[in-house]
Amino acid sequence: MIRVHPEPWATMVAHAEATYPNECCGAMLGSADGDDKTVTVALPLENAYTGAQEDRYEIRPEDLLRVEREARQRGLDVLGIFHSHPDCDAYFSKTDLENSCPWYSFIVLSIQKGKFHHANSWLPNAEQTKAEQEPLEY
Amino acid sequence: MAKILIPTPLRQYAEKNNSVEVSGSTVGEALANLTTQFPDLRKNLYNDEGKLRSFVNVYVNDEDIRYLQKDATAIADGDTISIVPSIAGGRC
Repeated sequence: MIRVHPEPWATMVAHAEATYPNECCGAMLGSADGDDKTVTVALPLENAYTGAQEDRYEIRPEDLLRVEREARQRGLDVLGIFHSHPDCDAYFSKTDLENSCPWYSFIVLSIQKGKFHHANSWLPNAEQTKAEQEPLEY
Repeated sequence: MAKILIPTPLRQYAEKNNSVEVSGSTVGEALANLTTQFPDLRKNLYNDEGKLRSFVNVYVNDEDIRYLQKDATAIADGDTISIVPSIAGGRC
């Protein structure tokens, strides 16, 4: 289960809507008790993909390194990554899976015609061959 | 000794340490020493062929070892090694 507090959730939705029709991305920080995760901070990140950003996102490793450092300084854990699917459902696509990491929760926000529609959280495996849906509360 | 920062989700495989001091003169030696000390970390970092998983990036201080000498990158006392995943995706 992953719970996102109202303030980070608002940040995530605002970032996803502001970047429409392109995909957005960012990191989620908070605390975890086993599989029970609580997101208290969302950090929007720049989509570094150099091609069509309405179809793809990419996070620079150095940006994630910065996020890891910030989390440590704030006494928080990096819990996951969020990104948007403009005018598509919040599934975990083949591209998402093949470029994922099993260490994190991946929240996908569906943005339809510029407005938030729905979201799902996914837990990919280490082989990048499948992702389980994770209960999401926001 | 260099310090390896352990990402949150991997701390469960490293006796909940958020960093581990390791010996070794290269990144490869340091990671080998880390995974000898905490064998459960190995499958999270390396694939069945013994190569770092495709989504695993390693930094020495602020430098990505892919742009240095990879596993053979030299490390010195006081260096900090960070393990950072590659992440991307897209709707289709």
